[in-house]
Parts: sequence; structure tokens; C-alpha cells
Amino acid sequence: MENESIQPPKWPLKFLRIFIREQYLEEIEGDMEEIFFDNVERYSLRKARRLYVWEMIKLLRPNLIRQFRFLNTFNRFGMLSNYFKVSIRGLMKYPLNSFINLFGLASAIGICIYAYAFFRWTYDRDQFHENKNSVYLVTTFAPREGAMQEYGRTPRPLAESLQQDFPQIEKVCRVEDRNIVVKYHDQVFNERIRLVDPTFLQMFTFPLKWGAASSLNDVNSIIISEAMSEKYFGEQNPVGETLLIKFDRDRSKEFKVAGVAQKFPVARSTEFNFLANFDNLRTSEVDYNFHDWAAQLDATFIQVEDPEDVRAVLHGMTKYKQVQNESVSEDFAIDSFGLEQLATLHIKTEHIRDDIFRGGTKDNIASIGFLIAISILMLALACSNYINIAIVSVTKRLKELGVRKSIGATRKVIIVQFLTENIVTTFFALLIGILLGRFVVIPWFEGLWYFSMDFKFGDANLWIFLSVVLLVTAIASGIYPALYISRFQPVNILRGSLRFGQKNPVTKVFLGFQLILACVFITSAVIFTRNSDYLASRDWGYDNRDVIYAQLPDELSVEQLKHVMEENAHVISTASSAQHIGRQQRQVSIAIPSRVLEVDLLAVDRNYFNTMGVDIVQGRGFNDHETSDRQGVVVNQTMVESLNWDNPVGQQFKMDSVRYEVIGVMKDFHSYSFSSPLRPTFFTLADESDYRFLSMKVEKGSMRDSYESLRKKWSTLFPESPFSGGYQEDVWGNYYVELRIHGHVWRVFASIAVMLALLGVYGLVSLNVSGREKEFSIRKVLGANIKHISNSIFKQYYLLFAIALALGVPLSYVVIVGIMDFAYTYHMEVAIWHVVLAAILLILVLLCTISTQVFKVFKSNAVDGLKTE
Amino acid sequence: MKKTKLGEFEELVLLTVAALQSEAYGVEIKRELEERLKEKLSVGSIQSALKRMEEKGYLTSQFGEPTQKRGGKRKRIYSTTSHGRKVLEEMKNIRAGLWSAIPKLAYEVKLA
Repeated sequence: MENESIQPPKWPLKFLRIFIREQYLEEIEGDMEEIFFDNVERYSLRKARRLYVWEMIKLLRPNLIRQFRFLNTFNRFGMLSNYFKVSIRGLMKYPLNSFINLFGLASAIGICIYAYAFFRWTYDRDQFHENKNSVYLVTTFAPREGAMQEYGRTPRPLAESLQQDFPQIEKVCRVEDRNIVVKYHDQVFNERIRLVDPTFLQMFTFPLKWGAASSLNDVNSIIISEAMSEKYFGEQNPVGETLLIKFDRDRSKEFKVAGVAQKFPVARSTEFNFLANFDNLRTSEVDYNFHDWAAQLDATFIQVEDPEDVRAVLHGMTKYKQVQNESVSEDFAIDSFGLEQLATLHIKTEHIRDDIFRGGTKDNIASIGFLIAISILMLALACSNYINIAIVSVTKRLKELGVRKSIGATRKVIIVQFLTENIVTTFFALLIGILLGRFVVIPWFEGLWYFSMDFKFGDANLWIFLSVVLLVTAIASGIYPALYISRFQPVNILRGSLRFGQKNPVTKVFLGFQLILACVFITSAVIFTRNSDYLASRDWGYDNRDVIYAQLPDELSVEQLKHVMEENAHVISTASSAQHIGRQQRQVSIAIPSRVLEVDLLAVDRNYFNTMGVDIVQGRGFNDHETSDRQGVVVNQTMVESLNWDNPVGQQFKMDSVRYEVIGVMKDFHSYSFSSPLRPTFFTLADESDYRFLSMKVEKGSMRDSYESLRKKWSTLFPESPFSGGYQEDVWGNYYVELRIHGHVWRVFASIAVMLALLGVYGLVSLNVSGREKEFSIRKVLGANIKHISNSIFKQYYLLFAIALALGVPLSYVVIVGIMDFAYTYHMEVAIWHVVLAAILLILVLLCTISTQVFKVFKSNAVDGLKTE
Repeated sequence: MKKTKLGEFEELVLLTVAALQSEAYGVEIKRELEERLKEKLSVGSIQSALKRMEEKGYLTSQFGEPTQKRGGKRKRIYSTTSHGRKVLEEMKNIRAGLWSAIPKLAYEVKLA
């Protein structure tokens, strides 16, 4: 029975049959099998198999392997070294052509390397966690607006129940993130602390630089990140130092630094700055109820022994659904629980609401798509140049070809020769490209977005990728010229009656293709640049100029600051609020009889409309003193639209079972950057005890002074707290930076693409001109002026340019509209004249390029042209 | 001498073939040599040595009987040709001559 299964692995044999000479096969196969069975008796089956494979590989010796026919037809080493010599001489002899080829390929390869690095960086995210396959985030599903929405927050007692009820679950970990103020000597900063169970560092394997992970068991210990260690303590080891942490105004506690995490790997989607024991919540929030199913915490993680168990756990979790749904109101009832594996959370986090993971990779995955497309297009551009130049310059090598063919080179040999030359050229381009990628492209991108991809050459996959790029490019660019060139009959070549290359229609096709691509790229650059100008001047829907704001810890501070700021003569009006446009809004769900809607809520005071320049288009804002306005709300136009209210004022809805009535409608304004669509939003009158923000409208031109005075007042009023506030214009300042980067990136890509196309045109024209030197000299002797010459050079390109643009303009239009719709929620209208403008720009550059050659011909002396033979 | 160029390893394999007589096939040669040299040898090295020497005419071979252990594949039994044996003898004589040419005195001096 058992003996039947003892067989050597099959695949090495198949492999062997390909390579070993036919007549040796039977003997060697038999030997191998006999040795295998000997080994099985002596060692384990696995070792015998391993030895078998290894022996197979060692059988690949020159005198045992087959003579493959294509290798047999020529003297390999001698000829190959000759090809290398010829290709290097060729590179040196025509520096312009070599430059165009090398530079083009190198920049395309540089971009490919960036695309690869970005790809790795995205997909390596979180993969450094040793338990990435056995750690899961517990999520809940609930129906929202007709679809099932996944939430990252979970009921507080869930972790404890899971630990008790499931033997498959090895560890659980609860996570709560809190805002705190950290004080060390005279340094005070606002920070985020992560309160976790001590299992956290066993599940998330962040290595520690100093200290021990077990110190998390101690409620008085804190573990900090390397960045925080440097911020507070400089270079030295802070273990043993004390930090004062203020949880809120009244509660603070001293923690002993017990560990410092090593610098986090760059490809991560969760991290921490301060890490302390979960039980601290008992003292920092006295009313924190650990056993309340109605209350949620930021995250619950479980670690299972075997990822196979997950289904069973998930199935068993259905019993909690009832417990959960009994304790909350109907609006918050959940549909089911979910478990999300850590290894793939970085992709999923985009669709999970309120989870603690940041920096989802969905945008990156879209960017990867773009980058791959751009890399391929750039390679295509560079290859087109290569092909064109190779075809056109073949005249210069006709004699060589004729001689090679007449002394016995077959067509195949010529093809191998040209492909070899190509691999040599591409190899040099690859070397330059690697340097370009590593030292120019990657640092440039990283600098634009202030991130680091931790690119390393040690990555084995990188070299596989580069070899593939090398081969694909070499063959893609070389195969057509090789086939074309090798076709000619030696007799015709040597008789000198053939003139080819210059009239090859394929050259025109490739050139046209390059022009179309250049047109697309240049259009994108123009549109992206114009679009960032457009968005910069787009109306936010409220008046964000001359407004400053401050964020405070409680109502009392708001009152204090308001009081002193109102004394400032520049301040026109002030408003207090619980939330603030652009900084914070509450997401709530409201119910009208027919449906439930997720909306944004800002609780404000009655001055808020005035101060922030929010216009009321229908009804009224809040009145002072009127208690009835406590149930009144002002909704925005988007909310009116999404609820299909014809007559919004007077409509009612319920939130947390309290009835609200619409008293006014305000104009839509952007609470988020222009990259997010407008959301249904409404204002309520804030409870005074909820005031956290103070906004101030100041006189035109006095914003800087007012801001300085605000900071000064703050530091005298609250010396213990770090300043928190700013210019309203800056709340989405990063967004404009991002937009400018988009414009910048596209301009660079467009420049490279246009440059590649231009180099191609330049190369072709200059080869064309140099091949017609005699013709031009004769024309000049006979009295041709610059007009005639330029005419005879341009003539062959008119039609090509016309066709390229006729195809390129509509294509560019379609492509750019697609990209704009994809990349931006709000963008400017793309008009066809924008594209035409871009095309005209392209034509101008092209004409300039060709004109340089016209002038060269015009300036040259006709006698020199006629003398050459 | 130049015609009968024989590498050290080839010579060992050739000697083994001569010694094993009718048992001289790939695996047996490998086994025997491994035992004597006290080191592991790969099938590839033995096979390529055998093929090389067959090309040079030191060895001939014919198929033997198929066996169960070899999955029904026949063995190839090698035997030395007269040319091969001559070359081996030549090598032996050259070596012996050289050995006898070493003056005894030199030994003693070295050893002392």
C-alpha cells in the first residue's frame, strides 16, 4: 500500500526530458530512479525527493544536454563578442541617436521603477506583523440608506464575552483612542493616546527599541513611539522618565516611560504615539461602563489559533446580536458581526466606517493603475523612437549587412545580431534608468508628498521585475527593425541600387502614435494646471476669508477667550459652537417616516451664520432667547434635495426620538475639501455647555494681527494648554497643496512625454536631412531659398501631423474628461478649446524642432554638401 | 602523451569501470567511487565523465537488463576498450617511473 505512494516527483523528469540528450535519457532516468529508491531506504521520503531534484539540476552539464538547433547554427561566443563590439561602436559612432535611445528608455525605466516601488509599498502595508493572518478586527454590519454598511466600532463587553465563549480565540484586545495633553517639564502638547489591553503588542508585532512589551501590564507605565521619544527627550533613552498626562481638565496622571517602539516600518496603516493599559479608563473616565452593550469602543481585535477557525467563531457570534440589539434603540440595531483579517485590512478599511485604521490604500490602488498606464505609455514612446531611428538609420549599415549576408549569415543570424545589439542598448538604458529612478524619480515623488517608501535594492522581486522590463523592452523595440532589416537581399544591397528606410510607412505610424500620446499628455497637463487654479478660486459656499477660530477644551474657556477677544477692535463678530465647519462635524442619523438618513450635524449659536458668512436662502436662522428654537433646525440645500422636500420650512424629522422642525434653509457650503461631495447637513442651537469652538470675523486686512493677538491671549489665559486654532482659510490648506502637486506631476509627465516625442521627431528629421545633403546642396546651387528648403522638409510631415491631431484631439478630450471625473468630485468643465489649445502648443514645439534642421541646411555651404561622397 | 589526455577524475572512473567488469553501470560506479573516495559524487559528474571518455574511445557500452527498481529502464553497462586499458597502463607506468625517479635521499632529508 504504502510503497505505491513512494515515487520520485514527476516534474523534474519532464524538465530533464527537455534538456538531456535523447540517447542518454533511458540510462540516466534509470540511474536517477535507482538512486532515489536507495535514498528512500536510507533517509526520509522528503529528503530523498529533495536530493532527487538537486541531482537533476546538477545533471545540466554541457556534454549531457541537447544541442539546440538555433544555438548550433553559428559560432556562439565568437559571434556574440563581435556583436557586442559592433553595438558599442555603434553607440559611440552616432552619439545623437544613442542619446535619444538611451535617454528615452532610461526615463521610461525610471518611471517604471517608481511604479514598482509604489506598488510594493502599497501591497507591503502591514505585512510586517507576524500575526497578520491570525489577527482579526471585529466589525459590525448595519443597514444604512438602503445598503449594508460595515462599522469598525464594537460594543464594549464584546471582547470579554469572546474570550470566555470561544476556545479557538487565543487573545483579545480592546482599543480606545483618546485626546490628551502631555506635559514634560515646560513642554506641553496635544497628543493622542491609545489605551489597549496588554495583548496589543503581542498581536501587533511592533518591535521595541528600548524597554519591554510586558510593561503594558502595569497601569502606570506608558510605551511611546520613537518619534515621541525624540520630540520629548531627544536622543537619549527615556525609559524611567515621568510624563504627566492630562485626560481632561480635572484628571491627570503621571506615567513612567517603560518602553520606546522602534521606528515604525513605512508601510503601515496603524501605529501609536502613546500606548497605555486599558484599565486607565477606570480612573480617567469614571463613568466609563465596561459592561454596557449600548456603548461602543474604538476597536476590538481577536487572535485565533488557526485562521480556519474564523468561520466557526463568526457563526458563534450571532448570539451576541440579540444581546446587542436589545440594549440599543432600533436605529442602531445591527445586522451581523464581521471579522476582517489584519493582512488585508489596508484594502478593506476604505469601506469600513469609524475604524482606527488610517491611510487606506484604495487611492493608492487607483494611483497604481495610473502609474502602470503611464509607465507603459512612456516605454511605448521610447520604443517608438528606437524603432524609428533603427529603421531610418539602416542605410548606414547596409554595407555591413550585405557583407555579413554574403559570407554566410542567414536571416536568423542577422535577427539575433540586432536583438543582441538591442539588449546591449537596453541594458545601458536600464543602468541609467535605475540610477534615475533611485536618485531622481523616487526622491522627487517622496518629496512632493512627504512620505517615504523605504525603497531598497535588496528586494529579489525588483530584479526579476527589471529583467522582465529589460527583455520586454529589448524585444518590443528590436523585433520589428530586426525583421525589417534582415529581409534585404545581399545582391541588391551591394549593388547599391536600394534606398530604403526613409520611406517606410511604419515609421510614420509610430511617429503618429507618439504625437497622439504627446497630445494626450500635454492636454492632461494643461487641464490639471487650469483645474487647480479653478478649484483654488472655487467658492466654499461660506465666507472663509477674514475668519479665525480656536478650539478649546470646555465651555468656560470658550467664554473666557470670547470675552477677551471681543475687546479687540478688529473683531467684528464672534460665535461659539460645539462643532465647526471644516474642523469637526457630528455624523448622526435622522428619521423621517419613510426612511433613515445619515447626515452631518453642527451645533452652533445664533451668531454663527453671520460670523461664518453662511447665507439663509429660505426661512430664518436661530433667534436669541427663544427656547422654542431648541427644537428648530436649519438645513442645507443638499438635505432638502435628498429628502425631496418641496416646501422645507415646517418639515419635521426625528433624531434620537426627539422631534425637530425645520425653520430655515441655508446655502450649501463645503465642510470638507472639494474632493468629497456635499453632504446633507443641518445646524441646531448648541447647548451652552457643549461650546468647544470660538470663531471670529475680523476686519479686512487685520487677520494676521488678530491671529497674533489670539495666540497671545491664549497663552496668558491657558499657559498649561497648547494653542489650538488657526485661519479658516487654512482648514483645507493641504487640499490646495495636493492640487498643486497633481498639476506638478502631470506637467512633469507631460514634459517627459513631449520631450520623448520631440526627440523622436528631431532624430527622424535630422536623419532625413543628412541623407538628403546632396539634394539640398544642388537645390541651393540652383537658387533655392529658405522657403523652398523648409517646404521640401516639412512637406512629408504635414499630412502626418494633421492626421495625428485629428485623432489626438478627440482622444485627449475623452481621456481627460474620464480622468477628471474619476479624480475629482468637483472640477471645471473641460471645453474642447482647452484641448485645441494644448494641441496648438504641441504643434508650435514641433515646428520649432523641425525649424532647427531647416536652418542647419540653410546655413550649410552647398560646396561642402556636394564634396562628400 | 598529448593524445591520451586523461583527467584525474576520469582516470578514477575509468579504473572503476575496469575493476567492476560486468557490474559497471552508472549507479554502481558511483557507489564504488563514493566508498573509496569517501565523498559524495553527483550523477551528473559521473555521467559526464563516462560520456566524455566514450567519445574519446576509452570506453564502450551496451544496454543491460531492465530491472524493477529502475522503473523498467535498462542499465547501460560500460567496459574499457583496449585503447582505454593501454592508456591506463601508460599512466601507471609514467607514475611508477616518476616515483622511482625520486631519490631516496630526498625522502630521508625531508623526513628528518
